[in-house]
Amino acid sequence: MATASQMVDPVIFANLQSKIDEEDSFRNAVRDIIQELDKQTKFALAILSRAHSTPAARIGEVTGAAEITIKELINTIAKLSETASQQPYYKFNYIWTRHMQDACFTILFAGWLQHNGKLFTIEEVGDILKVPVNLKDRDAFHLTVEEYLLALITLIDELARLSRNCVTLGDYKRPMEINQFIKDVHAGFGILNLKNDILRKRSDGIKYRIKECEDVVYDLSLRNLAPQT
Amino acid sequence: MTLTGNKRTAEEAFMAQPKTMSPFLPIFETFRSELDEHHDRRERIIKASRDITAASKKIIFSLQRVRTLNDPFPAQVAKDTKKHYDTIRDRYSSISRDLQGINSFRYQFQITPGNQEFVEAITFQHYLSHQMLMTHEEAQKELDKLTGGGERVILTAEDFLLGIFDMTGELMRFAITTMATTGQLPGAEKGPGHHTVLSDLRELRTQLEQVNVHEGGRFKKDFSSKMEVMRTCVEKVEGALYGQVVRGAERPKGWVPDLNGGRREEAEAY
Repeated sequence: MATASQMVDPVIFANLQSKIDEEDSFRNAVRDIIQELDKQTKFALAILSRAHSTPAARIGEVTGAAEITIKELINTIAKLSETASQQPYYKFNYIWTRHMQDACFTILFAGWLQHNGKLFTIEEVGDILKVPVNLKDRDAFHLTVEEYLLALITLIDELARLSRNCVTLGDYKRPMEINQFIKDVHAGFGILNLKNDILRKRSDGIKYRIKECEDVVYDLSLRNLAPQT
Repeated sequence: MTLTGNKRTAEEAFMAQPKTMSPFLPIFETFRSELDEHHDRRERIIKASRDITAASKKIIFSLQRVRTLNDPFPAQVAKDTKKHYDTIRDRYSSISRDLQGINSFRYQFQITPGNQEFVEAITFQHYLSHQMLMTHEEAQKELDKLTGGGERVILTAEDFLLGIFDMTGELMRFAITTMATTGQLPGAEKGPGHHTVLSDLRELRTQLEQVNVHEGGRFKKDFSSKMEVMRTCVEKVEGALYGQVVRGAERPKGWVPDLNGGRREEAEAY
């Protein structure tokens, strides 16, 4: 049998290996930043979750307390954005998309609490996080439409929970507002042509949140506790 | 409460309420058109990828009728493959616009099956003509030729490597069929450096086994399963050669060794 063979130029595999290694070191660099982001997001959400046991009048204390962490979170996203933009966006977007959704949810929830049921648009969230949104004309880090919509669904889940807890706190007005808010968002999702993907699966859950909120409204109305409008 | 409910009651309730339209509808309209665009692109790419895969398979099928290395292809083979390359060119051109700029890697998951099969076809063809492994850059150039060089479809290192794995299966098939019909392992006399398909397969195996794929990457799983299939392929050719050496003299003319459905085994490994 022949021994000396020249079928494979070793450079081929050396080049492939260096490409694989390069991608791996990029992933590692991003992972470090994401860990930091994750910690800050969790901390901010832990603070914001006090909203469930804080009367509406004092909700400012909760959002105020979360502000510092949210600022840190925004700084970390700036770092992520800078590192991530070195590579084609969608090549690695799977690494951080979950974390960007969580960060986006944090902003949406804080905004909703602070501004009495206001929904930040994707552009407003982008301004707060200091990242572009829905980029189409250039390849760089940004917040995608999908990430924003998934974060919005998380907000709905959280508000359904808040609706019941408001009643416990003796607040009968906010459940009415939450009920309307969720219905309005649901109407929005209703006009989207969703494929069989994660967005579809998660948005299917909104109707159960509507039911939960309507149940609260029903209970209050039945007992004449609902505020007269 | 049921959301569907009685239709009339729901309608009546709707009419009775002086309900204002959801204030969020305008922003959702923007999202709708964004998502529609995305889904349309995705669909186009999935379809093209499937066609590219099918055409590449047909090319490989034609190439498997070749019996010698380093020779010009029989006219019929050249004619057949040309037709399929035209299909591939057409499909790549139809989607290259969808794979530019921000979207260059967005549909990687959808396009990679087509890319891999394409790599398998062109590297196999290159091997039959030159008995050499085509480089990643050359493969990209072949693809660029098809897309006209303007809007490039990127062939990633992963596409290329996974395509090479599949190509080893074709080398096995080629080696065994040729041995069965001519009684000889192809290569040897004519090839540069006098190497046979088997020594080439072994060399490829050594190289592939040395590739270090890191944990946490998305392609680790595909890589590992294809590695197993590739090893089996090399060993099948070794087994066939062993059989020929040991029992070769007793072999009746025209006897074909059992290929044991190399393709089927490959499918099982996934």
